[in-house]
Amino acid sequence: MLNVNSHKQIRGIEMENSPKNSRRDFIKKGTRLSLLLTLGAVGGIAAKHLTGEKYVWQIDPFKCTQCGRCATSCVMSPSAVKCIHAYDLCGYCDLCGGYLKPDANQRSTAAENQLCPTAAIQRKYIEEPYFEYVIDESLCIGCAKCVKGCTSFGNGSLHLQIIQNRCLNCNECSIARLCPSEAISRVKASNPYKVKGSFTKEGKS
Amino acid sequence: MIINKILKYSVYLCLAVSILAIIWWLMKDPTSRFTESLPGLDKRGVSDTVSENIEIGKIFETNALQYKEMSESWPRFRGERLDNISVSPIRLKEKFGPKGADIRWTIPLGEGHSGAAIYKGLVYVLDYNEKEKADLLRCFSLTEGKELWKRGYHVTIKRNHGMSRTIPSITEKYILTMGPRCHVMCLDRASGNFRWGIDVAKEYSVEIPFWYTGQCPLIDNDIAVIATGGKALMIGVSCETGKKLWETPNPDGWKMSHSSIIPFTFEGRKMFVYSAIGGMVGIAADGPDAGKVLWKTPAWNHSVVAPSPVCMPDGKIFITAGYGAGAMLLQLKGNGVNFTIEVVQQYLPRFGLASEQQTPVFWQGHLFGILPKDAGTLRNQFVCVDPADCKKMIWTSGQTARFGLGPYFIADNKFFILDDEGTLTILKPSTSKYIQLDQIKVIKDGADAWAPMAIANGYLVLRDSKTMVCINMNL
Repeated sequence: MLNVNSHKQIRGIEMENSPKNSRRDFIKKGTRLSLLLTLGAVGGIAAKHLTGEKYVWQIDPFKCTQCGRCATSCVMSPSAVKCIHAYDLCGYCDLCGGYLKPDANQRSTAAENQLCPTAAIQRKYIEEPYFEYVIDESLCIGCAKCVKGCTSFGNGSLHLQIIQNRCLNCNECSIARLCPSEAISRVKASNPYKVKGSFTKEGKS
Repeated sequence: MIINKILKYSVYLCLAVSILAIIWWLMKDPTSRFTESLPGLDKRGVSDTVSENIEIGKIFETNALQYKEMSESWPRFRGERLDNISVSPIRLKEKFGPKGADIRWTIPLGEGHSGAAIYKGLVYVLDYNEKEKADLLRCFSLTEGKELWKRGYHVTIKRNHGMSRTIPSITEKYILTMGPRCHVMCLDRASGNFRWGIDVAKEYSVEIPFWYTGQCPLIDNDIAVIATGGKALMIGVSCETGKKLWETPNPDGWKMSHSSIIPFTFEGRKMFVYSAIGGMVGIAADGPDAGKVLWKTPAWNHSVVAPSPVCMPDGKIFITAGYGAGAMLLQLKGNGVNFTIEVVQQYLPRFGLASEQQTPVFWQGHLFGILPKDAGTLRNQFVCVDPADCKKMIWTSGQTARFGLGPYFIADNKFFILDDEGTLTILKPSTSKYIQLDQIKVIKDGADAWAPMAIANGYLVLRDSKTMVCINMNL
């Protein structure tokens, strides 16, 4: 049986065999590890911030109801929303519902026949009976009048998109907040447009 | 003293600057950098297609196949009575069941919207063959879909929302067709032999309607009746000889529309009602004054008119059009000799029954139709109205039952509606509510299924822009 002294002896032997200053080393190592972990975490967050996916605002042209609020509600003036043209969907019609006012007197480029309030659509004769329609982005105010005409009476090739180099990418997009059809949502910045033709009704691009 | 001088000269300087500023303001044109939108900026060219010489009826190919002769016909646009209602006693399916539609045959066609006419077991469709560059009247057997013969002519048609658009008119003796560029062709029905042809665009200096001719030609008492526009408003031509029997002058220069001529008898007087680009007109259909204008009104004048007038027994005439035009209800009055026409209702498409392409159906004193895309919240819904007030909807199909620009008609007390993508819906006709019986996709990958349907002996013939399908609807 071991007595109290023998216990002390054992403890004394253990004390003598263990490395000196072990508690200090432990604290040092712990601190180093904590710093390393913190540095790693900060580096990781920074790397994610630098290389991770950003999001921007965009309009789903199949949900848009051409209410006209994009022209008036955007913080940019004129609006960052513009009409764009999916040429592969266009019928190249002489009587274009997106270019001409309903029941226009003539199918001509005269101002009184044009639906666009800023004459932002240029009409070019290709060959009988085809006409090409080109949007002048600098003149477009995103009022969607042409989009409504094209959607109602044509193939729907004219549609609205938020032009990313004009958009401020507000945290709370003022148009998205008012959009009655909830057509505006955040999309990945790497694929920032929902252009008809490549973007389908089912949302596949 | 110095301060006074400074003040004095300052006032003079201000006055001088102000005067200069006013002069500058008066001389400055704030619109100097504006670009005027004038006619002709598109540099529109002139078409030379009218000068093309077309030998109508030149092409003929026959396969000399046998076919099963049948009892019923759907011989023209909107059927025998031009009301889009079949009076056949044959019972039709109201539900398709787990096996789906009994599709008897499927035939690829040139891109277009020309519907079929059926005559005693034969199907006739005016097709455009892009490879041959030819309008071809093709004749198929109804039950088998085998092609018996085709007759036509070479003509250049470019794709423009489809190429073919019209339905032939068939009688026991004759077939009458009108091609995309207004070429009228009359044939013997049984043999397909060519009788005569008219290049309407060339002879009458006609402006071919947008997206090509949509007017379905009419045979009435063996007379071919064509609304030409241009040098004449309407002509009557003997089917037997091709001789012109009468011609209605066109002093107002009204143009040809996509609308078709509707025969209508009111107060004992038979007339042809037509909605031209320029106005509506009623023209004497028979007697010594055939071709005479009985009444006309410029009140209905829109740049594109596709639906045909719906003439009702009490003299009401309903007419509608797309592209924002809306609809108009007119009241014809007269004593059989003299007639007057007045507008009862006129409204935009969001305020009442309207249609872009199809002609509404008049059934049991009510009008039925599909509203266009610019009809607001009711867009593309199937609706019913009382002609006493076409702005008041009796019922609508609801938000979950929307259709497109496709056709609809009644047979065996059922409404058949085809939507743009080739889905067929069967309804129970009712003047009190919308009652859907069944719905099934009948054209795989269908697109732009706008051509009117035809039915005979329980065989339903319909098409989308590229495919024609025959469905056996017999119970």
